[in-house]
Amino acid sequence: MSMAGVNGRTPGARGDSRAASPADRLKAELRIWWREIDRPLLLLVLLLMGIGTVAVAAASPASARRLSTSDVALSDLHFFWQHLVWQTLGLGTLLLVSLLPRTSARRIAVLMAGVMSVCLLLVPLIGVEVNGAHRWLNFGIRFQPSEFLKPAFAVALAWVLSWRLRETDLPVIQATMAFTAVVIALLMMQPDLGSAVIFAGVCGVLLLLAGVPLARLGVLLAAGAGLLLAAYVFYDNARSRIDAFLGGGSAYDQVDLAWRTLLAGGWTGTGFWLGTRKLSLPEAHTDYIFSVIGEEFGLLICAMVVVLYLVIVLRALMRAFDADDLFTMLASTGLTAVLGGQAFINILVNLKLFPSKGMTLPLVSYGGSSTIAICLTVGLLLSISRRNPHLSRTTPGLARLFGLDSRVTTPPRRLAAVASIHRDADR
Amino acid sequence: MNALTLDRALGSGRVQLVNIRRESLARARQRLLLVAAFFMFVAFVALVRLVFVGADAGAATGTPLAQALLPARGEITDRNGVPLARAFPAYSLWFNPDAMGEGQSPLVDTPVRVAARLHAIFPDLDEERLRAQLAAGRAGYLRRRILPEDANRVHDLGEIALETPREMDRHYPQGTLAAHVLGYVGADGHGRLGMEQVLDARLRDPARRATPVPLSIDMRVQGALEDELERGMKLVAAQGAAGIVLDVDTGEVLALASMPEFNPNRLDAVGAQLMFNRVTNQVYELGSTFKPLTIAAAIDAGVVRDFGARWDATPVRVGRFTINDSHPLGSTLNIPQMLMHSSNTVTARVADELGPARLRQTMIDLGMNQRPAIELPARGYPIWPGDNWPRLQNMTIGFGHGVAVTPLHLASAYAAMVNGGIWRPATMHKLAPGEVPQGRRVFKESTSSRMRQLLRMTSRFGTGRNADAPGYRVGGKTGSAEKPGAGGYQRSAIVSTFAAAFPMDRPRYVVIAMLDEPRGTVASSYQRTAAWNAAPIVGRLVPRIGPILGVRPDETRDVDISDLVPLVPEAQR
Repeated sequence: MSMAGVNGRTPGARGDSRAASPADRLKAELRIWWREIDRPLLLLVLLLMGIGTVAVAAASPASARRLSTSDVALSDLHFFWQHLVWQTLGLGTLLLVSLLPRTSARRIAVLMAGVMSVCLLLVPLIGVEVNGAHRWLNFGIRFQPSEFLKPAFAVALAWVLSWRLRETDLPVIQATMAFTAVVIALLMMQPDLGSAVIFAGVCGVLLLLAGVPLARLGVLLAAGAGLLLAAYVFYDNARSRIDAFLGGGSAYDQVDLAWRTLLAGGWTGTGFWLGTRKLSLPEAHTDYIFSVIGEEFGLLICAMVVVLYLVIVLRALMRAFDADDLFTMLASTGLTAVLGGQAFINILVNLKLFPSKGMTLPLVSYGGSSTIAICLTVGLLLSISRRNPHLSRTTPGLARLFGLDSRVTTPPRRLAAVASIHRDADR
Repeated sequence: MNALTLDRALGSGRVQLVNIRRESLARARQRLLLVAAFFMFVAFVALVRLVFVGADAGAATGTPLAQALLPARGEITDRNGVPLARAFPAYSLWFNPDAMGEGQSPLVDTPVRVAARLHAIFPDLDEERLRAQLAAGRAGYLRRRILPEDANRVHDLGEIALETPREMDRHYPQGTLAAHVLGYVGADGHGRLGMEQVLDARLRDPARRATPVPLSIDMRVQGALEDELERGMKLVAAQGAAGIVLDVDTGEVLALASMPEFNPNRLDAVGAQLMFNRVTNQVYELGSTFKPLTIAAAIDAGVVRDFGARWDATPVRVGRFTINDSHPLGSTLNIPQMLMHSSNTVTARVADELGPARLRQTMIDLGMNQRPAIELPARGYPIWPGDNWPRLQNMTIGFGHGVAVTPLHLASAYAAMVNGGIWRPATMHKLAPGEVPQGRRVFKESTSSRMRQLLRMTSRFGTGRNADAPGYRVGGKTGSAEKPGAGGYQRSAIVSTFAAAFPMDRPRYVVIAMLDEPRGTVASSYQRTAAWNAAPIVGRLVPRIGPILGVRPDETRDVDISDLVPLVPEAQR
């Protein structure tokens, strides 16, 4: 049966489909996609985006009224309709990218990493200032290079680190760290501390998985802490935010307003569009949408959102755990770290457990290019984690992994694994 | 072994790579679990935080619907819906030194100038103390209650630290009117003293507090009663006064006043001394007003059958005691004359003939041996002479000495005497037509109709002439009793009462007016008896309240007393 699965993906089989009409070929591709895709993950992501649609509808009046001027009066649901447009575009991106075979996804991501790095370099030169930060580029459409760099960066790093399997003496670790350091330095210039933390985290997670000794990672962590301290001393943005976090800030700063919004609804919330605290909250539809969910739908729904993110992260990591090549495992974990890292940092900021970062809640918050970027991240994750369901692999159980199970069981489908080595070697 | 053969076939370089690959995959899987554990930990922290936040938020935030939409405490109204007690959001002046942010100076201007401006708005505030409090930065009330226009002026000062929060207050829009009926609300939010205490649970119940509670009181009648009582009290420099207007058929109290009154809107030490309710809590020997009750009992028992019969009116000697009249009334009197002139001696002889058992039973039937029947919490226990009445005591009780009851006891007894003989408990609640209690029969219908004639004659020709408001057919009886003090009755301190009902041809309301220790003044022709101080109060009150209560003055109507008039020479003049 396993052999049949392997055969199903042999060039000969593809040759057959190529001979058919384009419509049939597309149909066959879609069928393969449907079999190979991580369907539970896709479902969870769609559920989260649905929650995001409702949440932005709830938060839209607050932000629309706040941002209306005497010249331009935004309708209450302005951001909701905008969000629907961006979500549709994002969903298209997500599905399109997830249709790519793993190799193409990797190539595109690596290419994008290169392009976006260049864009990031250009930001200090020709960047557009929005809300006091130089983060944006405007090539007809305005976008943040760092948003698109995040997923591309994770895939590119995973690719570089997986070189080690073929050339053991390549200095991939050093190259990775150097690249990360450059990116972080560029982000600090913008300034964008939140993204810098995400990049550092993704790099750390990938190095961890790539097998860097824990002691050396500890040194890196200490260095990171030192860097944060330096940021606190030399870096106004970071200092004010950390000060505000530690000192409690004034009664009317954003974090405090968000906190009051979160508390206003109690366990079950005030009800849809019945919240009042959100109206005094800046960035209700982006950074503090979690608090708006808290006010209108209650803390129980907030807890549900937290659990949903955890389930998405664990699902993606489980899939990565089962992967049989290092690149897939690293790339999946890196992309998951981008998604989960942003989500949990945003949630912890809303729960006053982390200094304010100016970071959106991925898949839920309103956003233009950032929604596309997040959908791209999920699309890459889905594409890279694609797997032939007939090609069941044997992965050691947890007990075996920690040496608790002494039973020797011969992996029955070794051939399949070897076959995939051949394909790896072909690349 | 299948794999081994393959490995061998692929050569040693490949083998090495495969080993590296396998090792790094295994290590990556282990480390992957660390990453998963880290995310689980973060999510766990977030969930724990949410639980703590929720436990906090449940207590601190959100206004319950009941609190937002219902008054904090139900309203009390009179029988026509006029508000007597209501929840009222009042402004207070609070100094919040943290309003400008922590570590900031609490005031924009200097404390000296802010204090001066506040003093200009509230001249009664102590400017020195105000300045000290503002300078010290202590949070606290600067003034507990301020008017809305003053709140606006404070707001115009532009000091953020001067806050004017609204607090729920119990407000009595009628001021002192019916203060003893209403009572007040204590600092703990529970009602005290009057109907506020009786209805406390009802007024606080979220399910029912949206609906105002109507009392039996009619505010217009209450106002007239208090006005007349106060006037009468001042004219004769009395210590206090009590009055009640009672519906004879239902027992509803239309007005109930104990003077002087306290102000439930402003409770102070002086007010606290005036909270004692003379109508329901203080017991008095009410003297001659008891005589009609004795006569009614005697008519009921058949002891008095012939109203032309002459009774001996000479002093009564029992053992070493002698019962006299206040002034000589001749050697004999008939029953109508006896009531008109308020003869102690004849009443004593009638009571003696009636006997203690029957008089006592009538008194018990009228509820004289128990606290008065009303909802108010402050109810005085009568001084009741017990089971075995000696002959002398029976005689004195016949004219109202030796038993002390509240004015409300007397009002309920008079209602039973004139309404056809049915005694009903008094109530402060407005009764719907079907809710009137059945009551108990104390007197025969015929006795009741005789008593209407006799009371009407007393106020037309006897001591109650000053109460005879033209056209209102008032019938009533005076009573002036010396107050008991240390070592016997005090000649100087008396309680004068007038107990009346109107209109006598079809009695609707009992009115009692009582003065505590009136003096002889020019207004009362230097007299201290009820005929000169209490009866005029009723005489002025009835024309004021009659039209309000649906009793129109009519000179052509009256109770038929033609059979008794020939018996009384005074009536023929």
